[in-house]
Amino acid sequence: MNARRTRRTERIALMGLRIAAGFVVVAMAALLLYLAFEGTKTFYVDRFPVWSFLFSPDFSPDANHPGAAVFIVGTIVVTVFAIALGGPFGVAVGVFLAELAPRRMTQVLKPAIELMVGIPSVVYGWLGLTLLVPIIRTHTSSPSGFGLAAAGIVLSLMILPTVITLSEDAFRSLPGSLKEGSLALGATRWQTIVRVLLPSASSGIAVALILGIARAVGETLAIQMVIGNSTQFPKGLFAPTAALTTEVVTDMPGATAGSLLEHALFSMAFLLLLIAMVLIVFVRFALRKRA
Amino acid sequence: MAAGTAIAPVRRVTATGGVRARKVADAVATAVLWVMASSIIVMLAAFIVYMVYLGWHALSLSFILGVPKETTAGGGIGPEIYNSFYILILTLIFTTPIAVAAGVFLQEYAKPGVFRNVVQFSAESLATVPSVVMGLFGLLVFVYTFHWGYTALGGALTLTVLNLPALLRVTQEALSSVPDSLREASMGLGGTKWQTITRIVLPSAIGRLTTGIVLIAGRIYGETAALIFTAGLSVTGNHPYDINPFHTAETLAVHLWYTHSESIVPDVDRIGNGSALVLLIMVLLFNVTARIVGRSLTKRFTGRSS
Amino acid sequence: MTEPSPVDTLAAAEAKIVAKDLDVFYGSFQAIKHASLTMKAQHVTALIGPSGCGKSTFLRALNRMHDLTPGARVEGCVELDGEDIYGPDADPVVIRHRIGMVFQRPNPFPKTIYENVVYGPRIHGERSRARLDEIAEHALRQAALWDEVKDRLQRSALDLSGGQQQRLCIARAVALNPEVILMDEPASALDPIATSKIEDLIGQLTDEYTVVIVTHSMQQAARISDFTAFFHLGEIVEVGPTNQIFTHPKEKRTEDYITGRFG
Repeated sequence: MNARRTRRTERIALMGLRIAAGFVVVAMAALLLYLAFEGTKTFYVDRFPVWSFLFSPDFSPDANHPGAAVFIVGTIVVTVFAIALGGPFGVAVGVFLAELAPRRMTQVLKPAIELMVGIPSVVYGWLGLTLLVPIIRTHTSSPSGFGLAAAGIVLSLMILPTVITLSEDAFRSLPGSLKEGSLALGATRWQTIVRVLLPSASSGIAVALILGIARAVGETLAIQMVIGNSTQFPKGLFAPTAALTTEVVTDMPGATAGSLLEHALFSMAFLLLLIAMVLIVFVRFALRKRA
Repeated sequence: MAAGTAIAPVRRVTATGGVRARKVADAVATAVLWVMASSIIVMLAAFIVYMVYLGWHALSLSFILGVPKETTAGGGIGPEIYNSFYILILTLIFTTPIAVAAGVFLQEYAKPGVFRNVVQFSAESLATVPSVVMGLFGLLVFVYTFHWGYTALGGALTLTVLNLPALLRVTQEALSSVPDSLREASMGLGGTKWQTITRIVLPSAIGRLTTGIVLIAGRIYGETAALIFTAGLSVTGNHPYDINPFHTAETLAVHLWYTHSESIVPDVDRIGNGSALVLLIMVLLFNVTARIVGRSLTKRFTGRSS
Repeated sequence: MTEPSPVDTLAAAEAKIVAKDLDVFYGSFQAIKHASLTMKAQHVTALIGPSGCGKSTFLRALNRMHDLTPGARVEGCVELDGEDIYGPDADPVVIRHRIGMVFQRPNPFPKTIYENVVYGPRIHGERSRARLDEIAEHALRQAALWDEVKDRLQRSALDLSGGQQQRLCIARAVALNPEVILMDEPASALDPIATSKIEDLIGQLTDEYTVVIVTHSMQQAARISDFTAFFHLGEIVEVGPTNQIFTHPKEKRTEDYITGRFG
């Protein structure tokens, strides 16, 4: 009789667990559906063509023409900037942690990186605002200091921990026999890293970079505080401009429900969601290549 | 051995030209990497010093406990700090059971198959959703569809969905760190799977689990983009320390953003510096607490020290 | 004209690599105690003994692999053609050019077969494609692998069977034209057919190289080696021509091991 009771407990427990796991799926599905529904209103309710939305640099929702190309380009440029700066730096520090760092250095560096992860993006934005922007203003041609350069630098700082930790994992998961074999042939440590370890860890590093890009694309507050938020095409690194995420956060609080502006902003959010999902597919692809 | 089919023999044990060049390259590369790694530590230290230096004198009791002002100087961040904790606790109450349950399911029960793949894929996808997109989702569901307006509850539920994947991964990693031999021992003594999990596996994993939860709590505390559209940008006028979950709840992080983009009070800098410093202190506290609690729990439940 | 007896030939062979009073410590634990051994040029010296007796540790001291282990310390000296490889000016990178190593489990790089073989020459500065091609063919022939892979040099090394991978690792070591090849139980992870191929190979390698091989199989040591050193608890108990060790061991411990009384 006791056995029957425990078996019932088992079944109820399992059902509860299944429901919890199912909730994750439901949440994701709901997210997709809600955003798809709201985000396509621009196209089938307001009848604004998808083509214009994606490629027109003219963002004038008041004139019924919300072309989002400015923001798409802004997102792309700022992301490229961030990964160009933070990518190699992050992989290098990842290599350092996995192959070169003595224990005491690791004991200081890893908590530092964890701390960097914990710092809220709004604080990064504030740091950029109070520290970086004035520096850019005084040392370059930029009149205000806001712009792609400030946003790119702040963003590269934010993706650093992601790239570092994932690169380090990629190197640590390599079998030690690879390094041994190379060193036994008389290679220096650096030669071993460049010629054997880096190529062998390439899929792991690809994952690190892709996830760094995903983080960059989705970052909002930090760049919004330093990018200038002007709906103009960026005329160089030091002119104020905007990205998809920053535009949503800047204009949504003031947008009237049901207006074209609101619909356009939701379309931008939906676009962001699609980009995120595409990046996931890339990550899975990169991971499969490893196996 | 035919001459010319092998490389020239080496006849000494000390380094010469070619080898020395490679060793120089090795040394230079090593030095560069050291500089890069150290610069991170230096930079972080510089940030912390900078923030303390700027925000220190803003931290008066009237600041930490006082209410914010709309148009005049002298506002405080009391209600914002309260709201940050309120939403944090609410979010954890929702997220922890769901994420841990789902994690237990995926790690201990799920057989390879469609359901498991779908759940994993959903979790991975949710993890990459930008927080601002999640905020808009919350806007659609809680503020519009449910007609709640801006509420702490709406914010907490949105953050729940946002942090589910992270807590799920923490759970999975914590569970997989428990060696199989423990499970086998329990089952071998006639324990059921559920008994094994609740009595042996979860207690063993509790240290790492708690560390992960506290670290995620730190991230929730600093969350901004998802809350702007769900919990709102103000605090309820008459009852700044409202218990009702349906109150509009601007958090400290949101307040920092708000003062620097929309606000018109004259002492923006002071509020900003103070808020940033308080946020930093909270993050540091969460980080340190996470480690301490994790280590002590692990020791208490398993007798080991890690 | 009478041929010199095998024992005389062995005794007359010159020393290539000599360990003198070698001590190896892992932290405070002493893994090798006062080991002295002369390994003769162009002959095979086998190191045998029960598990954990230190034979692999000793082998790794011969090409300074312990430099890579934090906490490991080597004292004493190892002379290659009379020069101490642990001397103050000695460079491990150069030493590993002259003393190559093949490991217990094949560890080819995840690259093509060709790239694996020419890795050594490349990192030591050889750039000419023509020369590298020559070196690759020569090394693969020496490792008895050429005929099996000559048409698929650009394929991944990981596609080869275990035995082929191990011969690839031997080719990789040989491509550097070393003087000594150290082998740490090279056939223990392989099936019997692959094992016998490796053993044949070792016999041919002594035409040019000095081989020191760790093996847990006494039969293998008896089959392929000229000299055998018996290790026990970190010490070299006895060393001598293989024939003599296996038929007339001088030490009781050696005899006990050989007759299977322990290990």
